[in-house]
Amino acid sequence: MKLIIKNASLVNADEIIQANLLIENGKITGIGKDIKGADKEIDAKGKYVFPGFIDLHTHLRTPGREDEEDLLSGATAAAKGGFTTIFCMPNTDPAIDNEGLAKWICEKSQSIGLVDIYPIGAITRNREGKELTEFGALKRAGCIALSDDGFSVDDTLILRRAYEYAKMFDLLVISHCEDSQLSYGGNMRESFISSKYGISGIPDIAESLIVARDIELAKYLDVRIHLAHISCSKSLEVIKRAKKEGVKVTAETCPHYFTLTVDDVEREGFPGNLKVNPPLGDKKDLAAIKKALREGTIDCIATDHAPHSLAEKELPFELAPFGFIGLELAFSLTYLLVKEKALDLKDLANKLSTQPAAIAGLDKCGKIAKDYVADLVIVDLEGKWKVEEENMASKSKNTPFLGQELEGTIEHTIKKGKVIYSRHKD
Amino acid sequence: MEEWQKKHILDIKNFSRLELETILSLADSFKEISKREVKKVPALRGKTIVNLFFEHSTRTRTSFELAAKRLSADVVNLTSSTSSLTKGETIVDTIKNLESYHPDIMIMRIGVGVCLESFTKYTQASIVNAGDGCNEHPTQALLDMFTVKKSKGTLENLNVLVVGDIAHSRVARSNIFGFQKFSSKVTVCGPTTLIPYEFEKLGVKVSNDLDREIPSADVIMMLRIQKERQGITFFSTMRDYVERFGLTPVRLKKAKKDCLVMHPGPVNWDIEISSSLKERVHPLILKQAENGLAIRMAVLYLVGTKKRKI
Repeated sequence: MKLIIKNASLVNADEIIQANLLIENGKITGIGKDIKGADKEIDAKGKYVFPGFIDLHTHLRTPGREDEEDLLSGATAAAKGGFTTIFCMPNTDPAIDNEGLAKWICEKSQSIGLVDIYPIGAITRNREGKELTEFGALKRAGCIALSDDGFSVDDTLILRRAYEYAKMFDLLVISHCEDSQLSYGGNMRESFISSKYGISGIPDIAESLIVARDIELAKYLDVRIHLAHISCSKSLEVIKRAKKEGVKVTAETCPHYFTLTVDDVEREGFPGNLKVNPPLGDKKDLAAIKKALREGTIDCIATDHAPHSLAEKELPFELAPFGFIGLELAFSLTYLLVKEKALDLKDLANKLSTQPAAIAGLDKCGKIAKDYVADLVIVDLEGKWKVEEENMASKSKNTPFLGQELEGTIEHTIKKGKVIYSRHKD
Repeated sequence: MEEWQKKHILDIKNFSRLELETILSLADSFKEISKREVKKVPALRGKTIVNLFFEHSTRTRTSFELAAKRLSADVVNLTSSTSSLTKGETIVDTIKNLESYHPDIMIMRIGVGVCLESFTKYTQASIVNAGDGCNEHPTQALLDMFTVKKSKGTLENLNVLVVGDIAHSRVARSNIFGFQKFSSKVTVCGPTTLIPYEFEKLGVKVSNDLDREIPSADVIMMLRIQKERQGITFFSTMRDYVERFGLTPVRLKKAKKDCLVMHPGPVNWDIEISSSLKERVHPLILKQAENGLAIRMAVLYLVGTKKRKI
């Protein structure tokens, strides 16, 4: 089947062009003004086409908490948010630390047939930080990245072995940077606000110390690492320096770190829905994150989509679990940066698609170009939508943005040439 | 007296000076009731008050219960633990459940902070904070202020010295906010490990040297100290602590003659305060407890006589 997307503005990391797009057999086979004659046409006049978004960091709660999210609801939420490929973290119950479970997730994702779901294998058995998992078997099962997300690997010797061992399989190690002793018992960023209300704090150095450790180790071993959910300016200083020195480090941040601060926690009266880890920083951190996105110190944006049940998020702030859902919000929240001219549309394509594709090593992905996989998202930048529980595809509704109107609507999401989501059903 | 506006008693930080004065003067007029032969007035007759305690307490709970009973309200006590809140029925469920009995006031103590305001949307009852996490303990601060006012005749321009575990003290926080509204100066003094981050931004003086602070103090508030909280050690030994922060006769000699020594209780004698000072300091500490009853009667009266929406 031939599909044509016509009259579109095609946005890549390096340029925006006006052209029609021909898609055959799941691939982009032609880009040009005079392409016509297809079985199906999508008129994208006035809309923008991006390479499908790629999320290196989601929690799909499967297996274990399918009441909060399962692979189908997660994939549906992803498609609705313009994502065509997502990576799910192994902090499940049981943990994704073995070949069988990783393989099951890949197969299940195929049979659902929406987005590609890549399981991220655990670095250590049951994410306990003690014994390495079978990297070779995890790779064979379909993993391209490993992480003990939720925890750092506290034991630096085990981390060293993991970095070295992963290099042999060309597996990407994703580091959750948190000194668990320094952050112990903490509920929010240690700050004047946490002190004023007597809420135990997590200092920003709980992140930056581990960022520094992991970078030093990666430099010493000459391996590549990827740093998850970077939230504070101190970490950025370390990353910037390392990049200048040529250390093979990449980093992601999440939309909440460039849209919310610890002041919002106070202003909203400490709702469970504003509790996240790493915790929200101050205004200085937020400004530094934006700058780092612009300058490239932060390579990409990931959601850290973390579904939690209503009962859990209804708990008092100090008892509530950490995390927000993000798949359906990431584009509109990133678009806020475009509106305020911190980024442009090309940067948006870069941070949400091109870079994550490069970091994960996805072949022929993350770009709108001939012979590339036809993973695309068509957006209406004029469109507005309201974040409401009823219209979220995710099983969980825990986002601090509930009730807010956001700009930029996802009109169609296309996976390997197949439309997997349309805002308006014909 | 202006009409009382606040439906809930959640935190001192959001009270005006006038509101604090209203409570203190009302408490003064209630003190006498507890000395009568028949210790009861019908002010809250027919009102239902729930004492909802998610943290162990006997003193505060008893004080609230007696306060309610002396105002003729019907009181029920519910005791649970904060840790039980994370499983099964949520706290919101508990509150909604109690709401079906149409209570007028819910007095709540809970081991986690800054959550009471969020509960107000699930009940028509007034919520009175009896201590929430490390955040606030409004009635304790009110009774402390009341005690100071009774002894000193004023709350203005005093030097208030708070000593001990500042980080985990809701008593310290509520007192800081309270005394600051009367232009009194608060100094917090404790081990460096128990002074919260950027605490001086609250407008308090931060000190780690008790000996240096004592001479200028008009009021010394000694807080209860625990070496360990949730498995974290904050200082080396009690001996080390007492040496630097214990109130001893030698230290107290350097204080002003009329300096008040207070403690929210229960006192760990020979840790926070030397037992040889018992005769000197215990009477006022017991007075604090007595005043607490009057303060709680005043607070319950003010929120309890507001009409419940039907």
